[in-house]
Amino acid sequence: MTSTHRRLVLKGAALGALSFTVGGAEVLLSPREAHAQGVPLKVLTPDERAALEALGDTLLPGAKDAGLAHYVDQQLSVPPNEALLMARAVGVMPPYANFYRAGLAGLDAAGQKVHGAKFAALPLEKRNEFVEQFRQKIPDGWSGPPSPFFYFVSRADAVDVFYGTVEGFERLGIPYMPHIAPLKRW
Amino acid sequence: MANEKVDVVIVGGGASGLLLAAKLGQAGKKVVVLEMGPAIGLDDLVSSMIWSRRLKWGGTPVMSEGKNPVSHNFQSGWGLGGAAMHQFANWPRLHPEDFSVKSKYGRGLDWPISYDELRPYYDRIQKEVGLSGDHVAEVWRPAGDPYPMPPMKWTRQADLLAEGFKKAGFRTAPMPVAINSVPYNGRPACIYDGWCEAGCPTGALVNPQVTYLPVAKKAGVEIRADSAVTRVLSNAKGDRATGVEYYDKAKQRQEQLADVVVLAAFSASNPRILLNSKTDKQPEGLANSSGLVGKYVTAHITFSAFGLFEEDTENHIGMSSAFGMSQDSYVKDSHPGFGSYTWTIGVGMKPNDVLGFANARPQLFGNALHDFMKRASKGLARIGVQAEELPDADNRVVLADRKDEHGFPLARVVHSLDGNSMELFNHIKAEGERIMKATRAKETWSSPAPGLAHFLGGTVMGKSAKDSVTDSYGRTHDLGNLLITGGGLFPTIGGVHPTFTLHAHTLRTADWMAKNWRGIAA
Repeated sequence: MTSTHRRLVLKGAALGALSFTVGGAEVLLSPREAHAQGVPLKVLTPDERAALEALGDTLLPGAKDAGLAHYVDQQLSVPPNEALLMARAVGVMPPYANFYRAGLAGLDAAGQKVHGAKFAALPLEKRNEFVEQFRQKIPDGWSGPPSPFFYFVSRADAVDVFYGTVEGFERLGIPYMPHIAPLKRW
Repeated sequence: MANEKVDVVIVGGGASGLLLAAKLGQAGKKVVVLEMGPAIGLDDLVSSMIWSRRLKWGGTPVMSEGKNPVSHNFQSGWGLGGAAMHQFANWPRLHPEDFSVKSKYGRGLDWPISYDELRPYYDRIQKEVGLSGDHVAEVWRPAGDPYPMPPMKWTRQADLLAEGFKKAGFRTAPMPVAINSVPYNGRPACIYDGWCEAGCPTGALVNPQVTYLPVAKKAGVEIRADSAVTRVLSNAKGDRATGVEYYDKAKQRQEQLADVVVLAAFSASNPRILLNSKTDKQPEGLANSSGLVGKYVTAHITFSAFGLFEEDTENHIGMSSAFGMSQDSYVKDSHPGFGSYTWTIGVGMKPNDVLGFANARPQLFGNALHDFMKRASKGLARIGVQAEELPDADNRVVLADRKDEHGFPLARVVHSLDGNSMELFNHIKAEGERIMKATRAKETWSSPAPGLAHFLGGTVMGKSAKDSVTDSYGRTHDLGNLLITGGGLFPTIGGVHPTFTLHAHTLRTADWMAKNWRGIAA
């Protein structure tokens, strides 16, 4: 690849775009753009979205604005063999929506039981304390996938949207250097 | 629906299947390859660790269980080219003693062939596809031709880590890799941007799309993607395969009849197909008179030690493979815990995914994780291990109660590490921590528990029909025209990455098939 070609590809790579439905039309947006534009979610409920965004921002502050919920939701709306989620790589049984639904329900149920409120309603200090607990051991009231595993996958999602993009590489001061940029849908 | 009968149908369009297809096509055979995944091409290899997951398993779900479940999806592949499309391309050879673990040490199993019998095929493969390395510096290397290309360049990370190995008393050498250090066979040299795991579209890294797929197509091999094979069909007597049953992209049942059937799918898929192919004559599954189909699943035990350096380790450049290696501890009985292992020195890293910066410190979250990511992106360095797990019949692929969309049971993989494996891991952990502490790193730490890499065994080869599924060529003992290729055949796995050996062994089978076709197909 020539250096000129590489620069052109790098320019295009900033999108990291996925396909979202806006006003009935399919458009390519980054998860951050979809979040900023208020694109409706397709799979997750408002409660699930609230829990996921609160968890994401606790695991990695900024993940919510980076479009964590839109990224996960969009990926849950495509066939499992097209999904880009960490859940796929680490052997979660499809459909992946079941994994997220069960995990987020467990998070809220255990939050309610242990700390008296759903996760999103907890103050940041309590959220941090709770995450420190459930990443190591399944807490009382938890159901669904083991909480340490759910922590691992959710944390990976947050890292993906915040640091796994061209924008994220720039935050760390390292060059992205793509051969083929993540510009279009496969 | 029945298709026109062909000479050979190959199930699986990965490294092994496409190599075999290319060679048999060149030998004039009419070959059809049935690949479960889509017909991806080099243009689909997006440079992103997020998008790289499209190359991970996306087929019929595989259930993983046991105390130490194998990471099936991470190890296997999805789409034409299979797992080799996201391979890291570490290509050391097995050592002579790896082929005779049972006879030499009284443990595990023996291969039905020796290193000397496989050596010519290692040499041919490395010349055909191109390997970079330094056979002189690699003092532990068994006899073999010099590598056709010089070793890859080292970054500051590799230099800093090698310094620690030296201080701790270990010799090091460049890792032999299936990546071009210089242009080779019309393919360009690597540019060290570290996207190997996401697939290398330039052709610098050996993957089937740039090696044997073009050869196979030129030889007239027909590739049918989106074709999920469910069963091997056999004759009434039960001693010959007649073809395979598969479901096409439209979910329509098809039959492909052939004189010879080869299962070259992933190590979990081949046993599943055989077990699901049971008949009145073979109620325990096809080619399973030994009762060993699915048994002896093995994986490499992995370990990582990390260091944070004050200087820039340049860890964002390089390859997904290691820069260097050490096999000073390869002798199986020279340390606590029986088994061989290879140290890997340094690796190109990205911020995210399983092996990215973030998972070097999995317990960190919140602002502490942000802080670590900034420090890691400048000064993180990593060493690792590929260690030998001995074969254990209790580690196995069996059929699950849950079924796929066509009514066939899924594969359920049960895997646990035994006491010897844990003893070996604990020894490696102590050694790795000592090595990392010998470097100039300001902070060091290591993975607390063993990981697993690769997925081997399940249809092991051997000399006897009583204690193996196939002979040394992968020909099943029970059906003379049904063969198996790939890592599922390995009775033992040594302490090295398996892809070079998989290629060499498949080439040996291809040669033998071409020379003995009448005896196999008749």
